[in-house]
Amino acid sequence: MAESKHSWREDELSLQEVIKKYPDVSPFVILKTDVQRRGVDFTQRAIDAVDPDRDAVVYRGIYSEKNDRIPNGLILRDGTTILADRVVPSSGFNGGRDPYLIDIADGKAVLTDEGKVIEEVGYWPKPDYFDKVTSSGKPMWQVLVARPQRMDINLYQNCDFWKDIGMGCKFCPIAATYSKTKNIKREHLDYQDVAEAVAEALKQPGRFRMIQLCSGSLLGGKELLDDEIDQYITMLKLLEKNFSHKKVMTQLISTAHNERQLRRLHEETILTGYTADIEVLNEEIFNWICPGKAKYIGYQEWKRRLYQAAEIFGPGAVNTGIVSGVELVKPNGFRSEEEALEKGLAEAEELARHGVGVAQTVYRVAEGSYFQKQKAASLDYLTAFAKGLDTLQRRYRQEAYFDDYRTCGNHPNTDLARI
Amino acid sequence: MSIQLNDQMIALINDPKTLKVLASADQDGIPHVVFKGSVSVNADGKLQYLEIIETSQTNRNLVHSIWFRRQVAVGILTQDSRNYQIKGTPVRAVICGELFEKNYIAVRERFGKDADLSTVWIIDPEEIREETFSVQASREREAYPLIGHLDRF
Ligand code: SF4
Repeated sequence: MAESKHSWREDELSLQEVIKKYPDVSPFVILKTDVQRRGVDFTQRAIDAVDPDRDAVVYRGIYSEKNDRIPNGLILRDGTTILADRVVPSSGFNGGRDPYLIDIADGKAVLTDEGKVIEEVGYWPKPDYFDKVTSSGKPMWQVLVARPQRMDINLYQNCDFWKDIGMGCKFCPIAATYSKTKNIKREHLDYQDVAEAVAEALKQPGRFRMIQLCSGSLLGGKELLDDEIDQYITMLKLLEKNFSHKKVMTQLISTAHNERQLRRLHEETILTGYTADIEVLNEEIFNWICPGKAKYIGYQEWKRRLYQAAEIFGPGAVNTGIVSGVELVKPNGFRSEEEALEKGLAEAEELARHGVGVAQTVYRVAEGSYFQKQKAASLDYLTAFAKGLDTLQRRYRQEAYFDDYRTCGNHPNTDLARI
Repeated sequence: MSIQLNDQMIALINDPKTLKVLASADQDGIPHVVFKGSVSVNADGKLQYLEIIETSQTNRNLVHSIWFRRQVAVGILTQDSRNYQIKGTPVRAVICGELFEKNYIAVRERFGKDADLSTVWIIDPEEIREETFSVQASREREAYPLIGHLDRF
């Protein structure tokens, strides 16, 4: 007798059930959340329909590297963007779930699940600068990443926490990505290459609204992180030549800096938005999942630095990213979704009281990370968390413009701030 | 269900001299009506509206409408005082890509270097009704011949 196979679908609410349970949460944002946690795969005809001249398909960043015909990202009809990695169902790195499948129906790309069409989908457009080359001969797509409206500069393509054995964040694939690609890329991008690519990207009318800088942690210097600060100030100084305004929409996602370093960033550069990702909203679980951050800075100090940043950069300009769902990972995560929700949102409220927003990034199990065989959280939980964060944003009148559906596009809770 | 606008209606909507208003509502149902000269009909027969201001109430309401499938209404007043209302549902918010960039350039050419574009909204027309006073009045007279003050009869 064939053994009946238990499916993950029997253990949790489906997309439609979650949409019904949260009638005031955007169904597009719930779908995005589900696609992010489960990933996507493509049928061959969907891949054949991708147009590499129109759709962005090449990518070199800190968390992944690709040069194929798979789109870099998705966009829904309402403008919601989705960062979803391609997941091959049989890979064993699928977070315990099956990915959505992108197929073609009536000549259009569609997201499907179990053979049913869920929603039409588009791809991130290829920016004009992708095919250009810097004066040193580097293809510009290799030194500047593009989302639909944001350019991303990943200066340091490795992370020093991984150089201190066992200290890397357990969900993070940066070290695996770097070691896979180190024969073809440098650990640190050339500032001039990046500056030239940014100048070229800015020539495309109506394309970009934000420049974001994000790298692995660079711990060295006279004082901890001084090298990291110098790196960003050098880059931002080169970028300011493109603008007549003193401050422009820019965001740094970095390690949490001390007050002196924060003031330098604020006073010496065009930078307007500051983010230091705490990743997990609980001290004990943070210590387990982010041992490097815990060892070199510490959970309470991380928060204190965020509060200082909020004072320096002003209202709405500072937030912290969380890897939503990783706090439930076994064996040391929260034991239940109820407890995780209650404690996580209480911690988010404390941050909000100090003027620090929370940007929810959906945890998707990443190949090459320490947690690569773990399970993603349920859609019900992630939606409840997004709704909880959105309620806090409204209660504390926090703006999300530095990390919203356009300037980032990776956070369900800031997507909800559109209405 | 979407409807096909006829050629005459398309010409009226695309006439820059026609006055157009867009009515939308927020999540609490609070109405918001504004004059919107940028409403037009695109090559697919859909209504297209260029939202210039990202943080405007109309933009928020249109997001609410596309998320929860709520109708909006476009009012048309022609130069010769004919008056129409088209109800429809936003089906697409274009924030990047070829169509967006083409309109971004056009908006800046028209309104100057300080102008920006937030979203190209595509609205599926679902219902059209003439609201010109004389047409409305004769419609009522035909359907409800007994309604009215007796001294009129
Ligand atoms: S700080 Fe943590 S999450 Fe960030 S790159 Fe380093 S290991 Fe990855």
